[in-house]
Amino acid sequence: MNLPEKTSEIFETLSRANFICSDSIDEHTRNLYDIINNNENTLKEYFEGINFVLERGNEYFYFSRKEAKINIENKMATAEKWIDFIDFLKAYDDNFTSGYRFYPREIVTKIHLDIGLKDKLDNLKKYNSTDTKSYEDKINELTKTLEKEGFVELENVINNQYKVVAAFKYIEQLVLSINIPDEMAKEL
Amino acid sequence: MTLFKNIKEMLKTLNGAQDLLSEMFEKRNSFSYKYEMATTLLNDATKVDKLIEQEIIIKNGVHIEIDEKYLKFFELILEVNEQISTAFITDTIGKIKESIIYYLSENQEEKRQTYLRKIKSALQEIARIINRSIIDLNRNIENTFKTETNYKIKLTKLEDFDDKRVQIKTLIEKTDNLITEEDRIFFSNALDVELEQIVNKLRLQLIDARHNISETQNQIIEYINQTKYKTQLIEKIKQVKYLKDQFELKSKTNFQAVLEQQNAFFFYPRPVFTTKISLSYLQTDEGRDLTEKIAKKFRNKTKPHKKIAQSINNEYLQTEVENAYFLDLEEVKRGFMVSGNNLFDFVRLYDFTQNLDFGERMTIFCRLVSTYEQEFVITDTFKTIDEVEFALVYPK
Repeated sequence: MNLPEKTSEIFETLSRANFICSDSIDEHTRNLYDIINNNENTLKEYFEGINFVLERGNEYFYFSRKEAKINIENKMATAEKWIDFIDFLKAYDDNFTSGYRFYPREIVTKIHLDIGLKDKLDNLKKYNSTDTKSYEDKINELTKTLEKEGFVELENVINNQYKVVAAFKYIEQLVLSINIPDEMAKEL
Repeated sequence: MTLFKNIKEMLKTLNGAQDLLSEMFEKRNSFSYKYEMATTLLNDATKVDKLIEQEIIIKNGVHIEIDEKYLKFFELILEVNEQISTAFITDTIGKIKESIIYYLSENQEEKRQTYLRKIKSALQEIARIINRSIIDLNRNIENTFKTETNYKIKLTKLEDFDDKRVQIKTLIEKTDNLITEEDRIFFSNALDVELEQIVNKLRLQLIDARHNISETQNQIIEYINQTKYKTQLIEKIKQVKYLKDQFELKSKTNFQAVLEQQNAFFFYPRPVFTTKISLSYLQTDEGRDLTEKIAKKFRNKTKPHKKIAQSINNEYLQTEVENAYFLDLEEVKRGFMVSGNNLFDFVRLYDFTQNLDFGERMTIFCRLVSTYEQEFVITDTFKTIDEVEFALVYPK
């Protein structure tokens, strides 16, 4: 099998539960995306040999397993956490999606003006570390979590501007794939 | 009823009100231009009243606005109309058809030429209007998609624009049909060079318009889909969040089934792959360098941890004075060397600063003898005092 160059880097990145996005700020990551995009079948077959499934999203790639290795409760806890996060972020701005740019300090400013948003943020405290007290700390911690999971990237170090990348659509798709029966949806 | 005697008078009136009309035109979309603002601007309420009387502006409560027919006229001429009217083109097509019938039925050449001029003018107008409509439509679609914040309104507006697009497309087809099929005989028999040029130009313009309108179609479908996706997503997030907060997500939706199928690494703790170091690699020069580097790192790292001792108990810091008697043997020896007495008697009678008993003095005698043996002469003569026998010792 003729593997494309940088296969090991692709493996290193994806196996650490990261996403590889086409709209990443990092040119190197964009380059990795192009390599996967042009050699998808070869890489898919290769990674399947070691039980890793290469999955394609809308402008991003990620790894999944063939079989579940953690119990459903843990998955539910993770998914519920992200439902809370996405609900907060969309309440801040319903345009918060792939390609959106934001400054954490702007979210803090809006929290001071919007009691509903403040309430939503207060409800996220169960996910905060114990030493997180001010709204600024909470937003910074949320931003760091988003960055660590690969949903946002720091675009400008000087003015602390972040960009939401294509991987964020993974969370959106996850929510959209939850099917609420029509009758109940009407009631809601 | 005609409000102006002639066009000259109308233009004069409009010219007199140019400041007011241009300001009102700029604010035409806010619908908040007040009567007082106009009187302040013109410094004369009668001038404003006159304009109202002439139906150039209309009064609506405290607000005033430019009359609809003037507003449409300005927008049409300045090409800033936001409303896309396709009725105009339908009318024009109707007029062309009428004129063609009149042209074909008319026998007088002069009248025939008048109809022909009307037809040529209308054909040129159609091309211009179609082109303008497409530009306006594209601009309005773009503006609505980018600036409208309410998703429901945005979607309705975009769907309305899509209807307009269909209408424009139909008009393009109708126009094309008119010049190529319906009245083909007229267009081929009119024998007018200018008409032929106009029709040929119109054909080319219609081809361009068809391309443009199909591009608009792609764009609007894309925007409608994006808007629908966003609306659907936001609704779904709200519903899912509500059910989650009510602890009903698992029981009332397929949440569990969805997650059972999801095995993305995202749900797993970040894996750490630990591998043993290759022994053959450590044999290489590079391996040795690495070993040294790590060893250095460890040396720096393993600094002994200095434990802080517990505080000293105050009892230990209390000073206790203990006096002990110290005998300077050297001093005693020096006294003995110059005394001329034997050592035992000297020690027995020596005036120590402290009272010493016989036993203690005997100990001092023994210590002196053993310490300074080389400096004394120990004779074989013995003496007895208090049942203690001792040798007589003298200085050398």
